[in-house]
Amino acid sequence: MFLLPLYLLYGTIAYAAERAHLPLPKPDELKYRPIHFAPPRAERVFLDNGIILYVFEDNELPLLNISAVIRTGSNYDAVGKEGLAELTGAVMRTGGTDALSGNAVDEALDFFAGSLHISMNRDSGSINLSILKKDLDAGLNIFSQIITKPAFEENKLKLATDLKIEELRRIADDPKKLAFREFKRVLYQNNPAGRFPSTTSVTNIRRDDLIEFHGRFFYPENIMISITGDISKEEAVAKIKQYLGSWNESRKYNVVPPIPAKQKGHIYFLTKNTPQSIIICANFAPSKKEPDAYPFEVLDFIVGSGGFKSRIFQEIRNNRGLAYSTGSFYTKRSEYGVFGAYAITESDSTTKVLSLLRSIVEDVRIKSVDKKELAWATKSINNNFIFSFQSADQIARQQLMIEYDKLPPDYLATYRDKITKVQPEELKRVAMKYLSPDETVTFILGNESTYNQVLTTFGNVSRIEDQL
Amino acid sequence: MRIFASVLLIISMPSLGFSYEMGNRVLSYTLKNGLKVLMVERHLSPTVSFYIRHQVGAVDEIDGRTGTAHLLEHMLFKGTKTIGTRNYHEEHKVLKMIAETGKKLDLEKMKGKNANKGRIQALSERMEVLQKKHKKWFVENEIDRLYVENGGDNVNASTGQDLTTYHVSLPSNKIELWARIEADRMTGPVFREFYSERNVVMEERRQRIESEPEGQLYEQFLATAFIAHPYRRPVLGWPSDMRFLSLEYTEVFFKRYHAPNNTVIAVVGDIDPANTLTIIKKYFGAIPSRHLDPSPITEEPPQKGERRVDIVSDANPQMVIGYHKPAMPDFDDYVFDVIECILSKGRTSRFYRVLVEEKALAESVHAVNGVPGAKYDNLFAIFAKPRHPHTNAEIESAIYDEIEKLKIKPVTTRELEKVKNQIKADFIRSLNSNLGLANLLSYFEVVTGSYQYITNHIKVIERVTSEDIMRVAKKYLAPDNRTVAKLVYKK
Repeated sequence: MFLLPLYLLYGTIAYAAERAHLPLPKPDELKYRPIHFAPPRAERVFLDNGIILYVFEDNELPLLNISAVIRTGSNYDAVGKEGLAELTGAVMRTGGTDALSGNAVDEALDFFAGSLHISMNRDSGSINLSILKKDLDAGLNIFSQIITKPAFEENKLKLATDLKIEELRRIADDPKKLAFREFKRVLYQNNPAGRFPSTTSVTNIRRDDLIEFHGRFFYPENIMISITGDISKEEAVAKIKQYLGSWNESRKYNVVPPIPAKQKGHIYFLTKNTPQSIIICANFAPSKKEPDAYPFEVLDFIVGSGGFKSRIFQEIRNNRGLAYSTGSFYTKRSEYGVFGAYAITESDSTTKVLSLLRSIVEDVRIKSVDKKELAWATKSINNNFIFSFQSADQIARQQLMIEYDKLPPDYLATYRDKITKVQPEELKRVAMKYLSPDETVTFILGNESTYNQVLTTFGNVSRIEDQL
Repeated sequence: MRIFASVLLIISMPSLGFSYEMGNRVLSYTLKNGLKVLMVERHLSPTVSFYIRHQVGAVDEIDGRTGTAHLLEHMLFKGTKTIGTRNYHEEHKVLKMIAETGKKLDLEKMKGKNANKGRIQALSERMEVLQKKHKKWFVENEIDRLYVENGGDNVNASTGQDLTTYHVSLPSNKIELWARIEADRMTGPVFREFYSERNVVMEERRQRIESEPEGQLYEQFLATAFIAHPYRRPVLGWPSDMRFLSLEYTEVFFKRYHAPNNTVIAVVGDIDPANTLTIIKKYFGAIPSRHLDPSPITEEPPQKGERRVDIVSDANPQMVIGYHKPAMPDFDDYVFDVIECILSKGRTSRFYRVLVEEKALAESVHAVNGVPGAKYDNLFAIFAKPRHPHTNAEIESAIYDEIEKLKIKPVTTRELEKVKNQIKADFIRSLNSNLGLANLLSYFEVVTGSYQYITNHIKVIERVTSEDIMRVAKKYLAPDNRTVAKLVYKK
């Protein structure tokens, strides 16, 4: 709230400033007061039944966010039943509980405008509930029942299955979605991460499979919860104890799926009648846990994820006007990472753009990055660090995920320092180590005539069929 | 349409809602040159979000020059006379020659079949030489470099039918950097790399429209629903216009609309409002206000019968249905906010319960109030995808059944209360980030003339009755007032 009347606040500063006609200072020479930023800490509580809880209080708005992260995911789908994790999550949300029908859950949530989402990723599941403070009990009641006693109503399973099949039918209508799925299929060969739901696999899934999958992964020691917003630590702990404290089940830990193996470098081509090609060149990269992750993150920033000034963007988009979307990504997981350079370009520019992507990546392997470019990247990454802590939910979630990924507790506290210490020779070293063209998996989605151009220019191209 | 898209881009629409005492926390101030400044102080994180909105969009373009507003947005990332140059005096000479050559090249190419190929070749070669020469004086992407290096988050811009937006979040000690860059680009931008950027925008169109059946459907839908109002044209522009967008007209367009008296700034986050205002005055205060173009925007004449359009495609079927209706702040527009929720918000909404669950006809059905813009009279639109083997025709008739129910059967008190709760809660959620709040305040300030539209929104929503819903449904959701666009399958 503002206590000062507006005219007092502004009366003294208006006149001189509006007359000013100053020469503009150089933007690089502006002086800033220092910001001393230490990541705020959520409180961690370990409950008797094994649930780990993170709480961060923020009273600005009468809102609560309650999120659970579960060690599960589609990597655990059995061969032939791809889509099981996803359907389990979907029908936990829609299929009711022992005490409430699916429709009753929807009615209650919609009436008090609570939003409850369950999503299944490759290596985790998450449940997010957003409610107004006044609906804490009603919300937690549904949240806890869905986690501990889902009913998996048959008709809701049928609905979820039918909708999934329709989604699969429609994937090819969106070239980007299709391209990224098929790219992963060739990158993660012989690994669960390269298997995707199909109409057949989804049709094979029965209610019993959902019950079994839920039973295998949903138990207190396999779940971490964050509560943030308009609530104290004491109240949060008391409420979670009230709704989930008597949940006492234990299981053996599940076998962790294997880490994907490196591939031999190759070009894979998927044909689709489209005026643009989607090109992705990927290599396996360091995991979050490895020290190489720091120099690699800086490298990725310089190559293509550091905005307009990064090399791919500047060369392919700015200098040549060949793409609107282009750049690179570095996906860090706890056991491995993936680096990709990508571009979406007019069909006739495909071979030119692929050659450019390759030469930009090759460049960081053979030439040192100069100190100025390195300084730009490390300064950028470090100055942006505070944006990982903008909301209460983000603050708690950051800490929770560090524990989930089994990273050292000082991961956040030492992060910027480790980025600062990255040296030019390390960039070259990690580029040599991870970005060998002999291990680059290249995926292209494009039309028939583009296929012929790619084949003529690069030889050795495998056509792949999309598997719907 | 944005300057920069990541592959995983999600486009969000401003949501509508209710005042949670937010109205009291907004500081509003107008500079002498007409620039409007809105500020909210909040200190959870040492960051601050900035939105600059100019009241100009695709609707303000003239025919034959569609896509100018959007290309201009891209050009404003190319630097200024003081940012991105090694020596502006020298650089300017080369830029002038590039502009002259580019104009001649365009004029020749526009002759189509009768163009002189030798002349095109010669001019293209000269262009290449000049562009190389220009690189000597030009430091690329300096605006982005300055923001990113200083921690900038969400550095982006977008162009819509109604307005153009530039936004960024920064650590809260960098407010002056933002003011320095933005005031400069409001007054002294330099349109570098114009001709290669024109190609980038063509790729953007290829990506969003030509490669995506959904994009084609939407484009044809609008071109059919509007016959006179500029909402009929795509924001990215028509391809034949885009190919020859002119540097000269883009400059005229910039000068005409990017005036302080046509601009709203929202600053939300870890700020000291008095200091922030001092900085804003120091940099923006000296920009002279301008006489704004009073040219009228063509009004859409009343629709006198159903319009239908088919788009042949190899994609799965989907459709859009739209009804003309008045813009904010007409009371009936609020009623449409309520109808939108009744029909398609959440699993208990009517479209979901009936079309997706009970009849099992649809993959999805969404109602959206305010298509394709909100400042002028617009459409209430329904986007639907049938579920195989069901057809567009089946889903269309099921949608009309639901619309007819709105006209004859009063909505129950409980359903109305549910929808009002949802609108209220969504508004509160939208306040939960600096960027979101800056987005909301600046958007409604520009489109409706006051941010208070949104902080008072729920008070008006509370007044909407079941009779209002029946009346509005009868008045606007009539067959003669609708446009139907469908994807029709052809291999």
